[in-house]
Amino acid sequence: MRERIILTWLLIAAIPAPAQWFKLTTPGIPRTADGRPNLSAPAPRGPDGKPVLSGIWQMNGKYLQDIASDLKPGEVPYQPWAEQLFNSRRNGAAGKNDPAARCIPGMPKLDALPYPFKIIESPGMVMMLFEGFTTFRQIFTDGRELPKDPNPAWFGYSTGKWEGDDWVVNTIGIRAETWLDNAGRPHSDALRLIERFQRRDFGHMDILLTIDDPKAYTKPWRVKEDLRLIPDTELLEYVCNENNKDYEHLTGK
Amino acid sequence: MSISPANKAITGWMFTAAMAHAQWVHYPTAGIPRNAGGQPNLSAPAPRASDGKPDLSGIWEVEHNRPCPPEGCTDMWIPEEFLNIGWSLKGGLPYQPWAAAIVKQRVAENRIHDPNSKCLPTGMVRMYTTPLFRKIVQTPGLILILNEREAMYRQIFTDGRPLPVDPQPSWIGYSTGKWEGDTLVVQTSGFRDDLWLDANGSPLTESGKIAERIKRVNVGKLEIEITVDDPKAYTSPWMVKLTQLLAPDTELLDYYCAENEKDGPHLVAK
Repeated sequence: MRERIILTWLLIAAIPAPAQWFKLTTPGIPRTADGRPNLSAPAPRGPDGKPVLSGIWQMNGKYLQDIASDLKPGEVPYQPWAEQLFNSRRNGAAGKNDPAARCIPGMPKLDALPYPFKIIESPGMVMMLFEGFTTFRQIFTDGRELPKDPNPAWFGYSTGKWEGDDWVVNTIGIRAETWLDNAGRPHSDALRLIERFQRRDFGHMDILLTIDDPKAYTKPWRVKEDLRLIPDTELLEYVCNENNKDYEHLTGK
Repeated sequence: MSISPANKAITGWMFTAAMAHAQWVHYPTAGIPRNAGGQPNLSAPAPRASDGKPDLSGIWEVEHNRPCPPEGCTDMWIPEEFLNIGWSLKGGLPYQPWAAAIVKQRVAENRIHDPNSKCLPTGMVRMYTTPLFRKIVQTPGLILILNEREAMYRQIFTDGRPLPVDPQPSWIGYSTGKWEGDTLVVQTSGFRDDLWLDANGSPLTESGKIAERIKRVNVGKLEIEITVDDPKAYTSPWMVKLTQLLAPDTELLDYYCAENEKDGPHLVAK
């Protein structure tokens, strides 16, 4: 009981601090009679008839910890070296080797951070602004080809196009040292990510993610990640390097 | 005309760098007026957005107003304002006595405690004096500034919302903008108490408010008047004018300070 009182107190204390801007009314959201967002309303569509993806979203946190959490044991088609490396990273044995420990999450971890991100659709480019690490992805929709031999980049190079109601994003050129998840699944410089963004209704979206990396996995494999819309708020600032005390306590090289 | 070995080395290095970046990074920017030879016409009138307002969108970089050192320019060619944001002001910045003392101390300490050196954000103002690219993306209701450094973004809301009254202190502040004729007027507040406005350590405190008047003079040039009103650190508000130049036909690259940071342990005070 006492704990409950303290918990209630904490909750009340926590509310006034972010009570600015971060409780605003996002325009264009269908609402129920009491003014609450109707998150099961149909997905909105733009003038081109395609689903609108803009908004603030947050992914189910389990995929950051374990990208294969919905797969059965044995369903991740590791190449032998990749499985060996994954096993050596289990239970946080090599947390220090994850670039995210130095505040660089890489892809697809960036999408899966347990903080909201904002999608902004603009002609020729879609931007994803992430509260986690206060960083962004640019996804070009102006028809350009993916670069042939790019400088490896932490989030790679991305282009997007519509296939029916799916928005399909191809990403290559991701630096090989990043991890696919906190569990430590590796990838190589041959990684191609294919994200199919599927907005199910107003408040829910899936990303059907294909991991195509013949050097690290014997065949492409797929996971379905679910996201929910976070209405009536705004992104906050998150600076990972600020007072980062974790790194020195992590194990690894 | 003889070329010194050092210059040759730099020229060779520049060619190598150009090759490495030969993808996307040389992608032609759509919508730029060009002359007969296909070169961007940077003195053409500023483009306009569909609402008739000037379109600030583009990739921008600092104006190179600081002479290169004798050994030649580097790829991190800093402008004067990087070191001293009040460089262009007669008599310098109107520091409060404690602020003048702390700037003197920070310079004497070789700027060892500069948040930049610890891979922390550049924050407002310094973001404009960092010799890396930043991309402005103007969308209805929201203008974004995407910085190459740390791949960090800044949002300027132009949807009419008011500034927050008592926000969480932040590095970049909270910004709203509105058009006054062809000038975008941006108000920013909500800063942390410990920001540096330049490498000399000119402070900005939580009482600071910053107004920007941003004008696209032509295709190739942006003029930004920045007024800093921070009575805790300065005896009066002060204004500096920064110029940003368009970097056409290119794209942002990755820059992560913390990627392989080896400087920290080697920094020493003078």
